[in-house]
Amino acid sequence: MRLPLATLAALFIAGTAVGAGPATGERVSFVSCPIVRDTSTVPCWLAEYQGVLYFLTLQTDVSAPVNPPWLGHKVLVEGVVSGDADICGGRVLEPVALSVMQELDGSCNTLLPAEERYNLTFEPPRPPGPSRGRLAFGDPAPRAAATPGSALREFTLQYEFDGMVAFRHAQTLQKILEAARATHATGIRITGFRSASRLSNGSVMRERESIARERAEQIRTLLRGAGLDGLRYTVQVKDLSKRPNGGDDAARRRAEVSLEGP
Amino acid sequence: MTRIRWQVFTTLLVAWAGAGFGTCHAQEVAGHVPEQIRQAQQAPSSPGSSEPSATAWWLPGDGKTLAALAPYRDAFGSVGVLNAQGPVATAGHPFFEPIGRNGRACVTCHQPANGMSVSVEMIRRRWEETQGQDPLFAAVDGMDCPNLPPADPKSHSLLLERGLFRIFLPWPPKAADGSDLEPEFTLEVVRDPTGCNTHPEYGLRSANPMVSVYRRPRPVANLKYVTHQGFGVFAFIGKNGLPASRDPETGSPSGMNLLSDARQPTLKTQAVEAAVTHLQFDGKLDEPRLQRIVDFESQVYVAQIRHAAGNLMEEGGPPGLGVRNVAAGREGLLGNNITNFVIPLGDQWKHLPESDDRNRMRESIARGHDVFMFRTFWIRDAMHLNTVGLGNPTKRTCATCHGMHMMGMDVANGWMDIGTTNLPWAREEPLNPWNSNKTRLPLFKITCKPGVPPHPFLGRVFYTQDPGRGLISGKCNDVGTIVMQQLRGLAARAPYFANGSAASLREVVDFYDRRFNIGYTDQEREDLINFLSAL
Repeated sequence: MRLPLATLAALFIAGTAVGAGPATGERVSFVSCPIVRDTSTVPCWLAEYQGVLYFLTLQTDVSAPVNPPWLGHKVLVEGVVSGDADICGGRVLEPVALSVMQELDGSCNTLLPAEERYNLTFEPPRPPGPSRGRLAFGDPAPRAAATPGSALREFTLQYEFDGMVAFRHAQTLQKILEAARATHATGIRITGFRSASRLSNGSVMRERESIARERAEQIRTLLRGAGLDGLRYTVQVKDLSKRPNGGDDAARRRAEVSLEGP
Repeated sequence: MTRIRWQVFTTLLVAWAGAGFGTCHAQEVAGHVPEQIRQAQQAPSSPGSSEPSATAWWLPGDGKTLAALAPYRDAFGSVGVLNAQGPVATAGHPFFEPIGRNGRACVTCHQPANGMSVSVEMIRRRWEETQGQDPLFAAVDGMDCPNLPPADPKSHSLLLERGLFRIFLPWPPKAADGSDLEPEFTLEVVRDPTGCNTHPEYGLRSANPMVSVYRRPRPVANLKYVTHQGFGVFAFIGKNGLPASRDPETGSPSGMNLLSDARQPTLKTQAVEAAVTHLQFDGKLDEPRLQRIVDFESQVYVAQIRHAAGNLMEEGGPPGLGVRNVAAGREGLLGNNITNFVIPLGDQWKHLPESDDRNRMRESIARGHDVFMFRTFWIRDAMHLNTVGLGNPTKRTCATCHGMHMMGMDVANGWMDIGTTNLPWAREEPLNPWNSNKTRLPLFKITCKPGVPPHPFLGRVFYTQDPGRGLISGKCNDVGTIVMQQLRGLAARAPYFANGSAASLREVVDFYDRRFNIGYTDQEREDLINFLSAL
């Protein structure tokens, strides 16, 4: 395993002091190889950009708000530099959105061994094996049936860059299904969005042209496939890729679903 | 019957059977089944045999009673088959009677002595006892391809060597309603040692295009766990957000854990397909017989009951061992935690006072349990595991994937690719001038079509012995994903993995050790094997 000189320097510096690189509150967006650092508990996920090592997230479980990226792929990182103490030698990004780049990249293959100086200073949400003390997920319990007046009627699905429906969307789709049934919805309006990301180096990454429609139509297909096949579907698209701002670009990669009627 | 007369006869049968499905049962069977019946009826069938059975072999139509608790010796002691509803009178019972054309019953491939699967050792013994005349060796799926010469062991090489039956599925795949699915990948046959995928009558370019893959029979036991409606079973699949298959009678989502490619949502729909493809029953089983099959399957339990560790059903023993505990356990729970545990053992076997052989084995099993639950390693490049929010790699344990309480299978929607069928990890014979053995399984080249993301870990072009779930969903990233099996009754039903590529529990453990670079010590390996053999 060979590390770029810049990474080695960043690892050394970040372990002792922080000062170089963006200021607290500054947004950073970049594409880079993720780096895994083992610890005595769970591994940390890091990425290096312009000589600064950033902490992205920890390994927890599927319910985590931010899921770790993948070795073998680059990752698009869009985050805000936090003033929190470094974790695993990396400056903390909070909030942060991570998008695994779809094409394989064999150069993203850095797995660093645990070192005493990078031990976590807090107990992670769950250990690397079975959950302990508390259940990461509770036992299945019967849910109260939603009443027409209480059910949500607006839903948003957030996507990774160029991403379609994935594991993290199952719960939202389930909520849409249940709400549509509970409210006796007669129609569903789906708006798919296309976005772009302005990177810190000034360049712009745009999602593929057809993705807004693909997202909207996929949701329609999935809802029909799950049994909502007697409703009126309205599909529309919005292209927000013209003016990425490096601010809320990640939030613009979405689809909105509205229940209609009765 | 001459070949010509046979062809006319089968053509009429196919026409009749196809009409039956097309007119009467279109909404009652999965979309791929009508094509399967055409090929099943096309294949020759051999008459049943009246050869005397082996000690533990259950002949179709035996008419015996299956005891409430039936023990059978196995390689590590005894496996127990428990009928929770009491003894089963099998005379006239559709699970035990030959109801199709080839003389087989469900029990032919789901033998009580083999934990309701069938071991390759039993298959070989049966071949020797009947000179290959047992209905077990029916041409439709007990041969490498139905066109091969009967009664020749070479025609049954995959069954005799690995315990594999031919599974034939339409290609391109069919949606649940029978409509065509546009697959995300092309499938090209690059090796066809059985000849079936390129055969003009049975292959991909036949009038009824079928792909043939070769798989082990899954145990028909402990099915309240396999078909649970608890943790993780929703209308949308937790692994990819796509709709789960549904029970055609109730509309409820399925956990999709029954078959290795999750193609059937319920015991009833599985029985309909199995009757067609394995028994060559020419139609749809009637409701009373289906219900009797499902009722039997829903109350039969299997687990190891005797072992070098002693009686696994003894009073006060570990709550996760023994068939009575399996029958009494709670289904639909996640066990990858220290509240439920996957296989709850308690602490009583951890430090035993007497150091005799039995207690040493008990301590080894307890250590093996801890290896299973707590020994971390890096799980990497496993589709539908590393891609579902854990990151690639993830530092986890066996119990991460084998997390269902009491069963050790995935708790829901359990297909993933650990490399048992996809290259480069799948078992292949080494090719060199000094090895005359050849891999007997087919090999397919998979190319993900333009506009579809490449497979996350294998790229746009890769090779597989069995596309697994990909043959049903048509998804590129499902290729080579296999629904994991329960871990009960393992000692009675070698070989392992869906393609029988591990001849022993040691080979299972060695596969994981090699695949994930675990680095088990000899002690860890031995303890893990002992643990698995006691389930």
